[in-house]
Amino acid sequence: MTRTPLLTSDSAACCWIPLFALRCETARRPELAALPVALVGSDDTRRVWQVSPLARHAGVKPGMTVSQAIGLCPALKLCEPDPVHYDAQFSRLLAALGQVSPVIEPAELGRAYVGTDGLEGLYGAPEKIVEAIQLRIVDCGLRIGNTGVESAIRNPQSAIRVGWGQGKFVTWVAATRARPGEAVIVQPGDEGTFLAAQPLAVLPLDPDTYRRLRQLGVRTLGALAALPEEAVVSQFGRAGRRLWRLAAGRIAEPVVGRVAPEPIVAALTFFSPVGERELLVHAIDKLIDRALGDPRRSGWRVQVVRVRAELEHAASWLAEATLKEPSADRERIAAPLKTQLERSPPAGAVERLVVEFTAFAAGTTELQLFARDAQAAARAGRRRALRTAAQEIKLRLKRSLLYHVIEVQPWSRLPERRYALIDYEP
Amino acid sequence: MKTDRLIGINEPQRVEVELDEKGLPVGMRDAGYKIRAVEDIGEIWRIDDEWWRVPIHRRYVEVIIESGRRVVLFEDVITGEWYVQKP
Repeated sequence: MTRTPLLTSDSAACCWIPLFALRCETARRPELAALPVALVGSDDTRRVWQVSPLARHAGVKPGMTVSQAIGLCPALKLCEPDPVHYDAQFSRLLAALGQVSPVIEPAELGRAYVGTDGLEGLYGAPEKIVEAIQLRIVDCGLRIGNTGVESAIRNPQSAIRVGWGQGKFVTWVAATRARPGEAVIVQPGDEGTFLAAQPLAVLPLDPDTYRRLRQLGVRTLGALAALPEEAVVSQFGRAGRRLWRLAAGRIAEPVVGRVAPEPIVAALTFFSPVGERELLVHAIDKLIDRALGDPRRSGWRVQVVRVRAELEHAASWLAEATLKEPSADRERIAAPLKTQLERSPPAGAVERLVVEFTAFAAGTTELQLFARDAQAAARAGRRRALRTAAQEIKLRLKRSLLYHVIEVQPWSRLPERRYALIDYEP
Repeated sequence: MKTDRLIGINEPQRVEVELDEKGLPVGMRDAGYKIRAVEDIGEIWRIDDEWWRVPIHRRYVEVIIESGRRVVLFEDVITGEWYVQKP
């Protein structure tokens, strides 16, 4: 594993696919396209998360309780969330964008920034860069309703909106102003003029600040930027300074990309779907142990860990945690996942569980590093010897017959459920 | 991505069992098709599980066979079939 350098870019494109999760659902179940549809939240299954235009027309809004939504629209079709599927589709989008530029920064599901510094040499003017981005998205086979190049660009039925400009805020606002299938390009130097006409709602405001600004008669970014900076700061503090600078186009945050290392993955398919929380916690512990044992992890601490669960009836569950202090300790890695499991457990029984380490930090702290690396080197030596032996066995017998015995449900009353064999690949 | 699939161990093995009038084993035919007489009956217990999915009802009987070996048999109460399994 190599270090993950930071890549930055001042000029940026923001790719935005609104209602990404809902579009993923309607793409794989086309019969939903003609119905009022709402996705139920992953965190709170009693509330509606994303709402199709037909459902919105009937009065259904995100955040409503399911019963309120059905009361307003009896024909409403409710879908269980499948975050693993949405995540896979979003990864596909990021991979497609990665073919245009090495600087990619995901913001949220369906929204990502592409650093475009230096791309003019490859593609030409910003219009051409944006077109290259749109074409890559269509070509990648992302199933969000775009089946051909013609359908994605300058087509009101398309899902993709793109904004281009200097800094992430300007490009995001530009993307929100773009019509479906189109792009809005803000030329360098035009940021102030472009932002001045935008409504206040494009700023990252909390409801209270938004209400106070409206009460002060501020409706647009231009009106906010016209106020003295210090006056805004005296009213809204530090956050006010940032808002004022964003509104005035004085902040151009660069896109920060990161070379994504190949994740370390450990997966487990259960004999029969599992709903017991204790068993899931136990399985997560075991999978973390296995992932920690991967030789690629030696000398590295885990920074980002995620758990994906495939549930019965094609639903899924996803939990991700970024560790403030990267760790190679199972308990520390598992703790935030267990909290999430406790707070918002899967909505159904789990058929398959996957633990992934997706970001790492070098195990570099003075003396401890020395000790850890010495142990890691010893482990690596043992693994090399094991790997050679395993390869020899495979060569002689044509297939590997080495397995680990692992605990599956050690407390099960059914003896065959307690332990199982799993492929051993040192 | 590598996906591991679990391979079950200690799966129940079908055996033919001869029963007395009380329904307890008096002989069994082992994997080598050799008939083994049951010399003694040990503990008997029952497992009823997974009633919410495909119900499992088993009656376990611990027996000592002629070689002096301890073997655990169980009857699938639903099908009436007998199996041998390590407890």
